[in-house]
Amino acid sequence: MSNKLLTIAKEVVRLAEKKGAQGARVSVYRSRQSRVEWRDGKLERLRESTRMGLGVTLIADGKYSSNSTSDLRPEAIDKFLTEALAVTKLLAADKHRKLADPERYKNPHTGDLKLYDTTGIAAVNAVERKRAARALEVAARGAPGADRIVSVSSRCSDSVGESALVCSNGLEATRRAAAFVVTAATYVKDAGHRKPVGWWYGVERQRAKLPSLASVGREATRRALMGVGSKPMPSGRYACVIENTTAARLLRWLLAPADGRLIQQKRSFLADKLGQQIASPLLSITDSPHVVEGLGSQTHDGEGMATRKMVILEGGVLKNHYLDTYYASKLGRTPTTRSSTNLVFSSGRNNLSQMLDAMSTGLFITGFSGGNSNPATGDFSIGIRGQWIERGKPVQAVSEMNLAGNHLTFWKRLQELGNDPFPYSSVCIPSLRFGKVQFSGK
Amino acid sequence: MSKNKGVDRRQFLKVMGAGSAVISAPMLVAGCTPKAGLTRTDTTPRGAHTTYFDGFGVDIGRIGRTLARGLSRGGDFSEVFLQHKVSHWLGLEDGEVNRAYTTVALGAGIRVLKGDATGYAYCEDLSEKALLAAATTAAAVADGTPKARPAPLAAVTVPNRYIVDVPWTEVGVDKKVPLVQRAEKYARARDKRIIKVTVFLSDETSRILVANSTGHLVEDHQPMAVLSVRCVGEHRGKTESGGQSVSAMDGIGFFTDAVLKKAATEAADHTTMLFGAGSPPAGTLPVVLAPGVTGILLHEAIGHGMEADFNRKGTSIYASRIGKRIAPKGVTILDDGTNVRLRGSINIDDEGTLAQKTTLVEDGILRSYMHDLISAKHYKLAGTGSGRRQSFRYPPVPRMRNTYMANGNQRPEEIIRSVKKGLYAEMFSNGQVFIGAGDFTFYLKHGRMIENGKLTHVVKDANLIGNGPKVLETVDLVGNDLEIYSGAGYCGKDGQRMPVGFGLPTIRCGAMSIGGRKS
Repeated sequence: MSNKLLTIAKEVVRLAEKKGAQGARVSVYRSRQSRVEWRDGKLERLRESTRMGLGVTLIADGKYSSNSTSDLRPEAIDKFLTEALAVTKLLAADKHRKLADPERYKNPHTGDLKLYDTTGIAAVNAVERKRAARALEVAARGAPGADRIVSVSSRCSDSVGESALVCSNGLEATRRAAAFVVTAATYVKDAGHRKPVGWWYGVERQRAKLPSLASVGREATRRALMGVGSKPMPSGRYACVIENTTAARLLRWLLAPADGRLIQQKRSFLADKLGQQIASPLLSITDSPHVVEGLGSQTHDGEGMATRKMVILEGGVLKNHYLDTYYASKLGRTPTTRSSTNLVFSSGRNNLSQMLDAMSTGLFITGFSGGNSNPATGDFSIGIRGQWIERGKPVQAVSEMNLAGNHLTFWKRLQELGNDPFPYSSVCIPSLRFGKVQFSGK
Repeated sequence: MSKNKGVDRRQFLKVMGAGSAVISAPMLVAGCTPKAGLTRTDTTPRGAHTTYFDGFGVDIGRIGRTLARGLSRGGDFSEVFLQHKVSHWLGLEDGEVNRAYTTVALGAGIRVLKGDATGYAYCEDLSEKALLAAATTAAAVADGTPKARPAPLAAVTVPNRYIVDVPWTEVGVDKKVPLVQRAEKYARARDKRIIKVTVFLSDETSRILVANSTGHLVEDHQPMAVLSVRCVGEHRGKTESGGQSVSAMDGIGFFTDAVLKKAATEAADHTTMLFGAGSPPAGTLPVVLAPGVTGILLHEAIGHGMEADFNRKGTSIYASRIGKRIAPKGVTILDDGTNVRLRGSINIDDEGTLAQKTTLVEDGILRSYMHDLISAKHYKLAGTGSGRRQSFRYPPVPRMRNTYMANGNQRPEEIIRSVKKGLYAEMFSNGQVFIGAGDFTFYLKHGRMIENGKLTHVVKDANLIGNGPKVLETVDLVGNDLEIYSGAGYCGKDGQRMPVGFGLPTIRCGAMSIGGRKS
């Protein structure tokens, strides 16, 4: 199939050039997703989809547009390109718009990243998905405290995607990847009409590496029960541990302003921070595109540039920005890459339980809610839930509280990283322990 | 359009199928009046059951055979949802309109129900082979032999709440560029501290057809217009950013000079007002919500919990509370699809049910959930026209449309005067809710402190958190100044993103936890 997609992509590039584009980048993709959703002892939804489409970036007379369609009939593509080019030519010229430097296409990673599990894809079918979804529910209902359960939903899904990327200045690349997902969500009874929810999941490139269905179901129920009887603590400055399952949400806000567009548009508090200490010396982060079986692994970025390992933070010092060809040109700098792949963190020595012991008293944050972060100033504020910890042990479920700060001071209060990088995300973040930070509660 | 002599309908649709108008093509619409043009009335099947999708080779016979295939394994109900959607995006940055994005989506979603279980599949090719293959996949939700055949299809005519003179697919980029440029000019002219302005104009034209095995067949033409302005300002070494958007189910006529100017100047004002702003204190304070965008409170704190799927499953904090008092007297909350041209308005929902105005809470009493066909059947009620989906790639679920609180009788200034110390919340950017526990948050972009009944200094960037039912119980003053937010609101649920509207008069609630940075 990848060869067929490559043929289509090459043909679209040829056609775009024939119609007057000086540069064209074309991606063609095909994906399939199958999913079984199960709820309270019976099938809830069965979903199957096959998707195909193409995206075309055009540069004509120094002008730029990007276009996509799911209508791949040859006559439709022809008409689509004609119109897209005509629209492009009505825009203002932009000297910074160009395809990536072809030198950057060269020497991509060639090893097997094991992103496509042929055996796993062959083994899974509708019957198997139903069996797995049912087993997740059984496990959730078999966990301690199950008499509080109101409802259990579970899901088993898998997807495969193939794509081809062709640039008119000399790139032809293909990609094939699969992913397998199992999830369970448990709702439990609480005081009044409250029904706290807990969920757990696994996502893997290789099906055999998924966590056991029993462990996923049980964990969903355990996490729901953790929310029973929750209440806000008084407002104050407390130490906290942020669980690895949820810490990526804050980390993404720290790194989002490293994006070239925000920097060029003067909306980034990281614009002038290269080479400066912006976080605790304990924090080092590397963008690592070639992690075997990595959820964010890729050999080429969206512009076709061969991906490279890139240090983002080293000992808390900001080392790189994310710059695509366009915004790098506007800023007069060398492109790095447009967006993150896998983020790999410096690792600590202690597990979560030891980190809670080290904190002794404070908040253990197991989930975030809502919130936002101002990329221009670094101010952020976000809802939290979790547990109040005394002597390293949970003593009270917590909800209806907020955590607030400014990234440039907040991350300097990081005191410890755990030894537990989260496996089910491209942000492989461990649990994090902070000194006293500002919480609002009752 | 079919009445427009000189334009071959099939040829015209093929052009649309390929993409969009490059420059405006008035000759294509010269014969169209608002009622006879590309409107609801025009697309109503009549006579030989001609539909918009006839132009793509999908006739009534093919739809009927697809519905029959859906029932081939014993399903109770089958449905075909056809969609052709053309979206454009035009952007200005650093003074130049130099980027454009176009997306064309064409496909069919096939749904089969067996009890309350759903089989769903879609295809992006409207050939009979592709439609039947998708129907076969969806039919597998059942595992038996066919019980019934689909009823003969009978087209339904519905009133149109968003007639457009010229559909967006016929509006060229030449007509849009000046609008974007004017918006930038207004933003820059507002304040010399504005150093960067980005503007985008996006439009959508979605043509949908819903047919199901009960014989129901209905079509709709859904236009959408959005303009967004974002500013960056610099003042004494501080950088701040703010924005504003406007949106409606409308054509290019929506973007009058007054609309452009209002969006642009508000974007500039939302930026410059932050220079002197600080963080509110961390802790709990009574909150007065300004009218308009603060309707996010209703959406998050109450609205999602009243979507019937969560109640049917027993997982909402509002499950089994119909007929019970959940708010003080004087609080009436509606979810309304019938407002003319509002962002969340619909003629029909995405299951083909007529849009309605649904009273969720009447004078404090919970009266109704929002239903799709599955939940309406579960509760043995008529649907509320709330079954919505992002596109043919998704099954419909109960969703909000335009959610707002009815006016009370308080004057807004009296409400502010009634608070000794509190927060006056003016602009929110986003929110989230946990349906089961009822805990919700919403993010304050800016507001003002209330001290001794007066509005004082500006505060910004704080998350507010509370429990929906508890907050609703504390709404004790309702203003007479209902304002529906005119910007581009989105709602995410079940992996689907939908345009929605919301609104609120000035209201006073009890204390909420405010995520300020100052202790």
